[in-house]
Amino acid sequence: MDASIKLRVSNIEKSFPGVKALNKIDFSVKKGTVHVLCGENGAGKSTLMKIINGVYQPDSGQILIDEKPVKINNPMQARKLGISMIFQELNFVKELSVEENLFLGRLPVKKIGGSVDWKKVRRETEALLAAEQLPYSPTTQLKDLSVSDIQMLEIIKAVSNKSDIIIMDEPTSAITLKEVERLFAKIKELKARGVSIIYISHKMDEIFRIADDITIFRDGTVVDSRPKDQLDMETLINLMVGRKLTNTYPKETVAIGDDLLVVDAYNQPGVFHDVSFHVKQGEIVGFAGLMGAGRTEVMRALVGLDPLLSGRMSIKGKETSINNVRDSIEQGMVMLSEDRRRYGIIPVRSVMENTTLSSLHKVFNRFRRHKKEERRLVSDAFQHMKVKSPSLDTVIASLSGGNQQKVLLAKSMLRDPDVLILDEPTRGIDVGAKFEIYKLVTDMAKEGKGIIMVSSELPELIGMCDRIYVMAKGTIMGELTKERFSQELIMKYATGTIANDRGNTD
Amino acid sequence: MKFWYTARKKYSIHFVLVFLFIFCTFANPNFLSVNNMTNISTQLAVTTILAFGATMLIISGMLDLSAGSVLALSGVFAVSVYKSTGSMILAILAGILTGVVCNVINAVMISTFKTPPFIATLAMMAVARGVALYFTQGQNILQLGDFVKIGQGTLGIIPIPVIFLIAFGILTWYLLNHTRFGRSLYAVGGNEEAAVASGINVHKIKYTAFIINGIFVGIAGVLFMARVNAGLPNGAINYEFTALTASIVGGTSFSGGIGTAGGTLVGAFIVGFLDNIMNLNGVNSYLQQIIRGGIIALAVIYDIRTKGRRTKQILGNSEKKNEQKQTN
Amino acid sequence: MKKLVYGALSLLLLSGMMTGCGSNNKASSDANAANGDSGAKKYKVAYVARAQSDSFAAWLANAVKEEAKKYPNMKLDVFDGQANDDKENSVIENAITNKYDLVIVQPNNGEAQRPYVEKLIKAGIFAITTNARISGIEGASSVDAQPYEQAAVNARAALEQIPQNAKVVVLDGPSGNFHAEERRKSWQTEFFDKRPDVKIVGEQIANWNKDEAMKYMEDWVQSNDNIDAVISMNDNMAAGALEVVKGNPKYQNMLAYGVDGTAEAVLLIKDGKMTSTTLQNAFELAEKLLDASNKLLTGESKQIDTDIGNPLINKDNVDEYIELLKKAGAIQ
Repeated sequence: MDASIKLRVSNIEKSFPGVKALNKIDFSVKKGTVHVLCGENGAGKSTLMKIINGVYQPDSGQILIDEKPVKINNPMQARKLGISMIFQELNFVKELSVEENLFLGRLPVKKIGGSVDWKKVRRETEALLAAEQLPYSPTTQLKDLSVSDIQMLEIIKAVSNKSDIIIMDEPTSAITLKEVERLFAKIKELKARGVSIIYISHKMDEIFRIADDITIFRDGTVVDSRPKDQLDMETLINLMVGRKLTNTYPKETVAIGDDLLVVDAYNQPGVFHDVSFHVKQGEIVGFAGLMGAGRTEVMRALVGLDPLLSGRMSIKGKETSINNVRDSIEQGMVMLSEDRRRYGIIPVRSVMENTTLSSLHKVFNRFRRHKKEERRLVSDAFQHMKVKSPSLDTVIASLSGGNQQKVLLAKSMLRDPDVLILDEPTRGIDVGAKFEIYKLVTDMAKEGKGIIMVSSELPELIGMCDRIYVMAKGTIMGELTKERFSQELIMKYATGTIANDRGNTD
Repeated sequence: MKFWYTARKKYSIHFVLVFLFIFCTFANPNFLSVNNMTNISTQLAVTTILAFGATMLIISGMLDLSAGSVLALSGVFAVSVYKSTGSMILAILAGILTGVVCNVINAVMISTFKTPPFIATLAMMAVARGVALYFTQGQNILQLGDFVKIGQGTLGIIPIPVIFLIAFGILTWYLLNHTRFGRSLYAVGGNEEAAVASGINVHKIKYTAFIINGIFVGIAGVLFMARVNAGLPNGAINYEFTALTASIVGGTSFSGGIGTAGGTLVGAFIVGFLDNIMNLNGVNSYLQQIIRGGIIALAVIYDIRTKGRRTKQILGNSEKKNEQKQTN
Repeated sequence: MKKLVYGALSLLLLSGMMTGCGSNNKASSDANAANGDSGAKKYKVAYVARAQSDSFAAWLANAVKEEAKKYPNMKLDVFDGQANDDKENSVIENAITNKYDLVIVQPNNGEAQRPYVEKLIKAGIFAITTNARISGIEGASSVDAQPYEQAAVNARAALEQIPQNAKVVVLDGPSGNFHAEERRKSWQTEFFDKRPDVKIVGEQIANWNKDEAMKYMEDWVQSNDNIDAVISMNDNMAAGALEVVKGNPKYQNMLAYGVDGTAEAVLLIKDGKMTSTTLQNAFELAEKLLDASNKLLTGESKQIDTDIGNPLINKDNVDEYIELLKKAGAIQ
């Protein structure tokens, strides 16, 4: 093999408050190859890439390029070292033109006068576009281009930067199949030129098509790193999820009652389609799937946060329709959003006000506020939920994530809903608080509520749920009953390797 | 010790007012006379009523730049209704109606058509002033007769505008603290998306806030015209900024979700005391502008530093704080 | 649904306002059409007002409009400078583009409009400057009241009326305003320089506004035992000061001077509350402006510079002016 090592990281460690994100990471990328990184969400892939790109600094360890140690303090420096990163969520200024975007941050300057040499920019952009056979003009604004076009542009930018290491973070998550082909052709061409590519993906079919080497991450460590030929899909999935369930879950058997919520053929074009499911009294129903599978979107449409195009639902056997969150709350269905900061808390207001926000009718009568009643309601709820807050008037932003989440749970419980939707209820929460939240969820199920739990943490779903739906590509790919629960099976559905055992999708 | 620490944080702006009051008392012997105090309150009545409206809007993340113009329009309409009917009640209703109509249009622009409040109310500022001038052909309406009583009369020793000031202050306090509307207002301004997700009808809240603001502005228009004993289509120019100043000095946060009726009152009086003492002591007009601007900036910096330190703590050291709590 | 209702409601309201405001334009365009039909030679005259929102400027613009009806050979359009030099200058430039035969300019700030009035002359358009004139432009005419004189007639009377060692307060117009500064200068030379015994116990810029003047006066009343006279650069502010001491026996004999001769001031003089003011007679100005326009357009004269009188209004002659203002509809 003539392939020399282009990039090597050794013994990289990185901690965030409360979390060890990366633990003694070693891995290396050969020149002119595609190296795929895979692993569950939160396994540490993105953190490592951000370290290589200079966004984060490692706590310890070394990065070597061409076997020479380098220090990368920021993305600018990474670029100078020949590293470019194409992000999962393309971040660009949509009012900029193609040429401005290409030369952003490195606009050529005239020798005399120091003004930008726009003629040169135009000339070089035209040359680049012609070389890649891209049909648009240098002055086209980015907002008029498709995601794939912009991605291609990012790649061109990396190439024109003379990058020899290009990092692609889930580049196919937002583009069509045809565009994927275009991307792969480009990757092949880059390889031929000797560029090394680090490719992050969850999609098994893709991984096996383009990888030369595969490195698997789990819980902040490298589990294995092998050439593609030595791996098959089965082994790969096992390696990705293969830990034993170390956490115990306070799951209790609860008598399952009648259907509380039945959803039939929900559609929102371009987002999700043909989504049908049901939730029974006392049941905890999981929704598994990878990022972008459409789980959150379905839930948002369900409670009236997003508009719905077609579909029917019934709550407690009564057919109903929900146009906004108020309808949903009044019908007894409450959702706790995955994005606590954005859709959950009112950061500048007190924990008490946050708690009673959905239940103002209990606190205010026609003429005035029942101050004592409000305090009593909230402190009872807090006691029950074990919320740790210095006082009821403490501003919610000053609490820890776990306590904020418990306040929001208390807020939901104050409405006494029949159906409770929890979207990533334990994201960003420490282990202790997680356990308490699981306990509360179990209690609610015992009270006969129907609970939907959307989560990316498979152990959590397996440990807590009675039934799990797996979503991929905007629809439900499979439904698993308790006896069939396994991480491997869920991952197969979620990555689209098998599908449709329910026969309700195409 | 701890008492003072928390008091200083929570009531920092109140201390500024007290300090200013003491300073003024020593700076001019006439400051502390009953007459001067009534004068200041009367002078402040109109702008403070506007400031109460402004506070509610800023709390919900909006603002109203049209207040001064709409005030003039409401006042001019009220005056002419009074002159043609002789009925004070009809005149006040006309003023309120005008204020409400203009503010409903503001709300339509902002809540329904999603125009930024700054732009929408800037447009209304021009339109309302234009209508007022067009309606009067740029001329002051004179000979108001008994209309002036509402602006110049007294109830016992208390000037009627001051009674309105107190009433609207209590009303604002009540709305903010004792109604679902008030609670929702804070939520909408603090995090609109979370408010929607909590089942709050944000449209309704925004419309209501503007309608209430319209009532406040309308009444302020009546009081203003009565006080100056004329229908001035050109009156109350820049009053919206005086109102905003009072509100902001009083601790209302431009990022929404924070503000109180009491704070606004305090803010209005800080500005009022300042103007008053400078006039009493004959400070040069140009200097007054400089000092006014400077002191407002200082008051707000002080407020942010005392309160803001706490905010920083909140966002920066939440982990540490939590640990402390648990070990306690 | 609700949204739609709110939307429709607001559109209705807005369109109501629009048509209300628009009626004026429609009238003038009708007039336009009529003129076109008559076919006779009509001179196009533009009147550029300083600001339609300034009550004297508005009065003058209306007076000019009325007066123009007496001249069948002229068609007059009124433009608004919106109290903004830039706006006013561009209005003048537009008048050149639209080939007016004569443009009357009421400057917002004389020096700012001077080059544009010079442009008018260069373009072969007659120009008249008024209230205040821009003097020294070759070929431009002017009709004006003299702000210095307007204040001076009051100041000279005050020399006799204001008692020895009096305490007075002064209310000024906006800084940088030509009339405001001329009037203040006039009071200085004609009165204060000659009466060093008089003490100014308060002086503030109240921007021609009644409400601002009231606030200052209220504070002055607090900080002074007595005020013998209010010297105001216009009637609005004087009226504001008087509003404050209305009914206060201590100030029954306080003197108060203004300028402009507004309806409010004339009534206050009649009531014996205000001492005197000078009439800046918009009717007379309008009359002279149109007369000058006519003479210029028909070739009777090449350049005209003329002034209107500065009649002092006091309790002796106030009835005469009440009659005048009644005729004008300013007093019912």
